[in-house]
Amino acid sequence: MGTDLFMLAQAGFPEPMGGATLAHYLLISVLMFAIGLIGFLTRRNLIVMFLCTELMFQAAGIALIAFSRFHLEHSGQTFVIFVLTVAAAEAAMALALVVLLFRKRESLDADEWTEMKG
Amino acid sequence: MDHLIHPIALYLGLALVGLGLCVALPRARVSPQVIGALLAAGGLGVILVLMGLKAQGELPNLYFYVFSLVALGGSLRVVTHPRPVYSAIYFILTILASCGLYLLLSAEFMAFALVIVYAGAILITYLFVIMLATQAPTEDRTEGLKSYDIAAREPMLATVASMALVAVLTGMLFTGISGLEPRRAGASHDALLAQLPRRVEDAMKDASAITFKDRIVERDGAFQIDIENRRALVTGPDGERWVDFPANLAPRNVEALGFNLLNTHPGSIEIAGVILLMAMLGAVVLSRRQVEIDEEAKVLQARNLMEGRGAEGQA
Repeated sequence: MGTDLFMLAQAGFPEPMGGATLAHYLLISVLMFAIGLIGFLTRRNLIVMFLCTELMFQAAGIALIAFSRFHLEHSGQTFVIFVLTVAAAEAAMALALVVLLFRKRESLDADEWTEMKG
Repeated sequence: MDHLIHPIALYLGLALVGLGLCVALPRARVSPQVIGALLAAGGLGVILVLMGLKAQGELPNLYFYVFSLVALGGSLRVVTHPRPVYSAIYFILTILASCGLYLLLSAEFMAFALVIVYAGAILITYLFVIMLATQAPTEDRTEGLKSYDIAAREPMLATVASMALVAVLTGMLFTGISGLEPRRAGASHDALLAQLPRRVEDAMKDASAITFKDRIVERDGAFQIDIENRRALVTGPDGERWVDFPANLAPRNVEALGFNLLNTHPGSIEIAGVILLMAMLGAVVLSRRQVEIDEEAKVLQARNLMEGRGAEGQA
């Protein structure tokens, strides 16, 4: 079993992704993005909202890697590195902001902070 | 037009997923979360199975199904779990499953980088902040939960909007990518081998084509590697001769990715570094706690300092 997976990874699939086509991976990516979006819109906890943005980053990564495999071109994978960078930077800033806000109001509710509305 | 999945089946499946998600989102009252989760998972399963049936040729690999179901199920739980800690842990599960998908797409380096950076670093930071910012849970399930964790905001509207987005995107995707031609594995990536003489030597030594004293000839700053005929000019105790590449010699994922990153996008790395630096500075500035000292404490501290200096002066 272990060697089986290893060979899959090393050799890649002989013909376009061995039956699972580009569209399969893109559908997975789109569904994951939508789930992340739903979470971002509905959850009121600030931390969970940022977790959902990470979920959307992840979905974008899957799409990029799938296209990279499809075209046999490594730029897609390179861009996942930059997605990772942006995700890390976003996590750092967002969590600092969350800590700051929590210290002010003792609450993680996004609805607590509506002064900037309109 | 040859659809990957019948559009009506897809939209029905999506509606099922949306309904399940909508039911599974946390509510103020006791909500039938398990039923919702099962419904959503069932919808996902229907879509995946239908996709598999329509795939040309052989069925998609079993690993593809396992990894994508785990990834999507995990992300459903990230969104619907009322406790943030569990959300974060389910997110780690999602990450690991998408690493499996990356491996299936032969992107090994990114798969392991994802485990290290996401599951190892980013999620730990999230867990830290969650632990800092939430009270310890009690035995009762809803007792320790805050009101903003229990009640979702407009679940129906958000689900309808997102599923409409998915419907539009998938419709566009399937018509858009049906005209794309996948590139067959060709000689293009082998061109990298001209810049990897030590790797070619190692592969030849492993195949016992050359001895340990042989080296690839370097002439006028260029290594004598003939990519088109897959051979290299080697010199050693036996004199100069052309040696063919071993049959399985090809650039690895990491090598190709490294060349792509440094040759094609060198400026972007600098920008990424600046972004990370700025994020670090921003995080430090934002989360710094301002220490407030009242006047008496200031006077006391100043006096202590002066006395300390005076003592030093006397000594």
